[in-house]
Amino acid sequence: MAEGGTIRPDDPGSAAAGRGAPKTTPLPGAARAAALYIAIPVLATAFAVATVGLSFGNFASYLPTAAVDVFYSFLRMSAAYALSLGFALAYGYYAATHHTGERVMIPILDILQSIPILGFFPIALVVFASLTPGSWPGVNLASIFLIFTSMAWNMVFGIYESLKTLPEELREAAATFRLRGVLLFRRVLFPATINRLVYNSVLSWTAGWFFLVEAEIFSTNSNQVLPGIGSYLSFSASAHNTDAFLAGILVLVMVIAILDFVVWRPMGKWAERFRYDTSPSGDVELIATSDTPSRLGRVTAYVRRGVRTARTRITTPLVQVAAIATRPVVSSERRRSALSYIGMGTILVVGWLMLIAITVAVFDVFSAPILPGIRVQIEHLPLAMGASTLRVVAAYAICLAISLPLAIFLSRSERAARYGMPTVEVIASFPATALFPVIIFGLIPFISPEGAAVLMLMTGMLWYLFFNVLSGIRGLPPDLDEAGRSFGLKGWKRFTQIVLPGVFPALITGSITAFGGGWNTLIVAEYLSVNPHQTLNLFGIGQAIDIGYALPNHTGYPLMVAALLTLIATVVAINELIWKPLYRKAVEKYRYD
Amino acid sequence: MVIIRVEHVDKSFAGRHGNISIMQDISFDVADSDFVALVGPSGCGKSTMLRLIQGLDRPTSGKVEFRDKPVTSVVTGMAMVFQSFALCPWLTVSQNVAFGIEALGWAPDRIKAQVDRYVSVTGLDGFQEAYPRELSGGMRQRVGLARALAVEPSVLLMDEPFSALDPLTAESLREEILQLWRDPSLPPDAVILVSHNIEEAIQLADRIIVLSRRPAHVLADVHVDLPRPRDRKSSAFYDLTDRVYSLITEGGGPTTAPPVTNGATASQ
Repeated sequence: MAEGGTIRPDDPGSAAAGRGAPKTTPLPGAARAAALYIAIPVLATAFAVATVGLSFGNFASYLPTAAVDVFYSFLRMSAAYALSLGFALAYGYYAATHHTGERVMIPILDILQSIPILGFFPIALVVFASLTPGSWPGVNLASIFLIFTSMAWNMVFGIYESLKTLPEELREAAATFRLRGVLLFRRVLFPATINRLVYNSVLSWTAGWFFLVEAEIFSTNSNQVLPGIGSYLSFSASAHNTDAFLAGILVLVMVIAILDFVVWRPMGKWAERFRYDTSPSGDVELIATSDTPSRLGRVTAYVRRGVRTARTRITTPLVQVAAIATRPVVSSERRRSALSYIGMGTILVVGWLMLIAITVAVFDVFSAPILPGIRVQIEHLPLAMGASTLRVVAAYAICLAISLPLAIFLSRSERAARYGMPTVEVIASFPATALFPVIIFGLIPFISPEGAAVLMLMTGMLWYLFFNVLSGIRGLPPDLDEAGRSFGLKGWKRFTQIVLPGVFPALITGSITAFGGGWNTLIVAEYLSVNPHQTLNLFGIGQAIDIGYALPNHTGYPLMVAALLTLIATVVAINELIWKPLYRKAVEKYRYD
Repeated sequence: MVIIRVEHVDKSFAGRHGNISIMQDISFDVADSDFVALVGPSGCGKSTMLRLIQGLDRPTSGKVEFRDKPVTSVVTGMAMVFQSFALCPWLTVSQNVAFGIEALGWAPDRIKAQVDRYVSVTGLDGFQEAYPRELSGGMRQRVGLARALAVEPSVLLMDEPFSALDPLTAESLREEILQLWRDPSLPPDAVILVSHNIEEAIQLADRIIVLSRRPAHVLADVHVDLPRPRDRKSSAFYDLTDRVYSLITEGGGPTTAPPVTNGATASQ
């Protein structure tokens, strides 16, 4: 079908995975799975090229409409970015300079950034719509708020950490020369944050586009449609209008590319001078030796920094807890770890049961005025949560099977890195949510809705995992690998003895962020209904939130809130009980320094 | 005239296993036109001493006085040169030199004139618009020196200023610092140098305060009477080096009790 053909004319990067996977992968099964997912876009691209060639005039006629819609989206992005910038400066600066504030503000941020933002969109819609007269400002404010939440936390952490990592002697220099107030801010504190701020802004814009498009697609479920590129794509895909859809994608890609060339690249170059390390660093060498455009060096440097960030972010609030927990050293390391796993499992199960109990209790208290049909649905929420979790886990497994071989391949071969990395990078900066309509309306005849959902979840998870794993592999000390080779470690053994332990911490960080991306994507991946004839409707927590929002006369709001609370509680529980302990373990055991 | 008076200073930090005593009962004076070196084994608290004098840190007990006034917070009239240079990479050489004077609230013209003066005094002419990352280590430390001198401190504090430089660069910078020190029209009335290099201390300073291992106390206060320029190969230089060296290696390990020669002991 033509729509099938439009999926990804811009996805040749996955082909690199295809080339790479068979060569180095130790998992033939995963390689086959990857190859399957790559074959579809390759065929589809050929289809799309043929279609576009036949109807160019028609295609061009949609460009102005698409441009106007992208412009609306861009305005929302800019507003959200301005808000994020102001917020990040104030919050990050205060948290870094006030001890008491820091103790509360950083853990709050830690929780905030781990909960699935998109789940709040329906509630934000309701709240902002009730605050403002008419639906138009409310809807827009809600979407700006949503984009803000996808941009701001990352920037706050950037500012906070660059202030916290200010070298001690520079801090002392400012003190000995008695710099204070505005002068201190202008000469030392603000410049110290600029480099991270620019890097994190690039990331925030990427995340922002993703959520903006998703929010606009979501808005087509209701009568409060947000004019923008997401709703444009959603409508044109549901109408099976290939030309319109392609025109929209083209304009979006162009705007993102122009922003990159005109704003972010020059900014990144300018921001270099605000980096603290005055001696040539590893990042610089990387650019020099790999002979790739400096963007690659910046991205990998960014990713590495991101990992470090995530590491401190994850460990910082837990440092005290960890210190207490690990103080009594039990003689047998192994017994301790076994015990801690059993303990962790018990806590997890108990926590989960308590969660259900609390949900049921709260529900019983507040559910009296709720319609019987919705009561039944709320009682099914734990089950829906389970179904959604299964989908996210499935998507995660496929992403892992793609990321690991692809990252190994791209880090082993100089040539592959030179051509493959920029491609992967471009694809990663494109908001995959723009392709959701075509996955839903174009692909579902060919793959099951379940498959479409997993595919959408993958687009929200893959890059976090991939870039983290890649940075982990690049961070492997080369002499360790050489030592392994000199002792004859090869193939599978080398993979399990050297590569896997080495990338483990990065893999965990990537998994945490990937799962975060997955939870966020659920909202659209399980339910989309542009018109009654074409509906994606899968039993799950995202669907519960969506249906709760879409039910007439506000009758579904209890369902929406209950579903959202279930989602947040589950995500926070999984982060605290599984990922963070696992991460601590990974860092303790597999760190090289 | 005594500029700085350190009296019975103790310093301890809260560690994992209770308080760790860094220094115990340290007393010494620094007078007008003194060039004093603090030497001692690494980790003995030399740099901490410098920070106590500047007011960046407070002693646990005892007191530090600057021109007869107790030092309770960062004091004007002293400036520090750091081991890692501690320059702002986002500021040019001129802007870095202006770093401290700006905080004094001078008028822009006056700041500019002062910057120009100290840029040329430290041999940085022609590099005003360069960024620190474009300079060699030796040049960066000149910026650090210019920044400190530009506020016209009466005491210049130098915290291992040559440790991050290669030996040749360090040697030539030491010579230049001596030349600046001899120039009466230039600011500091006194210099306190922290070093773990005994030869460097003897080459530069007129007095060497030898500190023991942690917890530090003053082992000796050695006056260096060698004529300048000092010849490192002379036997007098060698004998002095040997004496300071044996003071450090023999004196006060962590197990030894503080010796009776506590406090300043003129020994030459």
